[in-house]
Amino acid sequence: MKTRSIALASLLLAATAAAVAAPVFADEPPGDAAHGKFVYQRYCLSCHGELGNGQGEFAQYITPRPRDYRQGTFKWRSTPSGSLPTVADLEKTIKDGVYGTYMPTWFPIGHRARLDVIAYIQLFSDRWKTEKPEAPLVIPPEPPNTSASIDKGRKLYTSLKCAQCHGESAQGDGVSAHELKDDWGQLIEPADLTISARYKCGDTPADIYRVFMTGLNGTPMPTFVEQISKDDAWDLAHFIWSLRPGGPNHPQPPAIKGK
Amino acid sequence: MKTVRGWVLLTVGLCGLVAASVPAQGIPAFARRTGLRCTACHEAWPVLNDFGRAFRDNGYQLRTGKDKPTDNPFAFWPTSFRLTPSYQYSSVSAQQTDQGKKTLGTGGVADAAMDFLAAGTLNDDVGFLVVPTGFASNGNVHLESYWVYFSRLFGNSDWFNVRVGKHEVDLPVSAHRSIELTNSYLIYNYHPAAASDVAGAFAIDQNQRGFEITGHDRGSFTRYNFSVFDGNGSPGSRNGFESPSFYGHFQKYWQLDSYSVSELELGAWGAYAQYPTQTLTLNGQPIGGAGGSLRPSERYGVEASILLGPATTPVHLSLVLAHGQDNKDLYQGAAVRNATWNGGFFEAIWVPPVDGLHWSLFTRYDMIRNDKQPTTDVPKSMNDQDQFTIGTKYTLAFFNRNEYAIHVEYATNNMKHMAFDGGNQRTMTWFAGIDFAF
Repeated sequence: MKTRSIALASLLLAATAAAVAAPVFADEPPGDAAHGKFVYQRYCLSCHGELGNGQGEFAQYITPRPRDYRQGTFKWRSTPSGSLPTVADLEKTIKDGVYGTYMPTWFPIGHRARLDVIAYIQLFSDRWKTEKPEAPLVIPPEPPNTSASIDKGRKLYTSLKCAQCHGESAQGDGVSAHELKDDWGQLIEPADLTISARYKCGDTPADIYRVFMTGLNGTPMPTFVEQISKDDAWDLAHFIWSLRPGGPNHPQPPAIKGK
Repeated sequence: MKTVRGWVLLTVGLCGLVAASVPAQGIPAFARRTGLRCTACHEAWPVLNDFGRAFRDNGYQLRTGKDKPTDNPFAFWPTSFRLTPSYQYSSVSAQQTDQGKKTLGTGGVADAAMDFLAAGTLNDDVGFLVVPTGFASNGNVHLESYWVYFSRLFGNSDWFNVRVGKHEVDLPVSAHRSIELTNSYLIYNYHPAAASDVAGAFAIDQNQRGFEITGHDRGSFTRYNFSVFDGNGSPGSRNGFESPSFYGHFQKYWQLDSYSVSELELGAWGAYAQYPTQTLTLNGQPIGGAGGSLRPSERYGVEASILLGPATTPVHLSLVLAHGQDNKDLYQGAAVRNATWNGGFFEAIWVPPVDGLHWSLFTRYDMIRNDKQPTTDVPKSMNDQDQFTIGTKYTLAFFNRNEYAIHVEYATNNMKHMAFDGGNQRTMTWFAGIDFAF
């Protein structure tokens, strides 16, 4: 009897532990793929291609290349490195576009059309049949963006060897910049972190924080979730944020003496 | 039965002819710049969808950081053209001849004109459009439209943008982007007894010279436009504007999370155009541009539209109603009262959910009903009009470089008491052509 009670208690504990280890999250369901096919044909085909292989008629002219959907690999996610993105992640990319690329904001087409095309895009990869997106990363509240935080971030930029790809001045001109390739064997340029007030990943320090922790699947940009603390990630995000046009560390043209 | 069979044969023949031809290699400016197919912006080309409306309202920008001319490939030129070689047969009933009252019809391959379109950006938040048009055998070419558009004049707000130049005012349904190629929208240019009306040439669907203030929210779902311009066809007056005229328009769209009704839209619009009714003279002759005593030609109305089915393959129904009035002084003493009329049109465009989105079917009914004629010696219903248009367009190919389509259309117009003998007069048009753009 005692043994049975212990076994039951153990089972209960194990189930509780499993529930804690793999938190369930409520992802929005995708829409109707049959409708999504027409959304795809209307808006997406010329870049992403009829087969979803990223080889539409315009693809050959643009860098970075359009996403190849067949691997189920996506750069911008709230989920851990290697995981599928959530439907909300995909909708964010479609709704906001990817600044600095040929992917525009599809905000005007509406929520329903975006969910429908996501359902269609998911048909291109078998991953969506066998895997579920992992739980999204929880981003802690942003600490104050102080000069001390920016300075710590600058040191982390050096110690984590960000400059290897992004360059000492963060202009995307590191020593490895011209050797980088994505998972499809295409040359890929590291981001110039100084060129715009908007980044591909989003418009806020939280978006930058997320990239450090999730990495960019399919690219050489890794996740740093095992290497840095949450506070470190915020410091680094604040440093990157300070490089934007108008930011305190944005590169300036040389000053003329006496002026 | 014989007519229907002949028409089907003609359509099939044209389809075969075009399908066997080599696709055009031209590059429509926007598609080449953005990489998007025509379908991204056009519900059924050239009618804009929600995405296209936002692109236009943003000054031909996608706002991806690649809108400046220097962001385009070095070889890119923002030019394209549109042409529609076509066969057209028209007949007009109740014609006076020595042999009696006849219906006269004639047809042939039209002496086509061409729009040469240059459009794009001059800088971030500065767009432009220049459209020389004509090029038919008469040799005439004129600037149909030309403007520069400054967007986001105050910070990052989309609520204050300014267009300067000759532009189409923001009509409830654009006359320059109409899917129909035969009849025009009656309410945009109708005048009772137009022949004796100084403002008879005024047509709100013509491009007007002036400036426009516009604003919209993200996605262009709530938008306003206000234009100040010289009414077209004016003899001129002694004012800062030759024919000071105004147009306003407000629209609100609601996207619904539904497959049965995906979008609703309501709006209101109005035009107030002023034309001179008196002029200074020299030796008894009118001096050009010396008019005065401006009097108004007005038209205003409301609109509603609905997208049935998914927004990507919708049945798009539009209803626009109008009331118009021309001041009696515009008739140069020939009128005893202001002329008033009511009218409207109902348009339906369907993009069937067929693989490739190649088909679009459309129909439109226009109506004019006179309320008061400027004189009392003619019937109240003089020049009341009923106009009906139906057609289909099959796009053989659309890439991010060009589009070409077969366009077949039938249109008829019935005008009351407009025949030489006071009877009704009916015009009928058959149209079949290849609509293409490089």
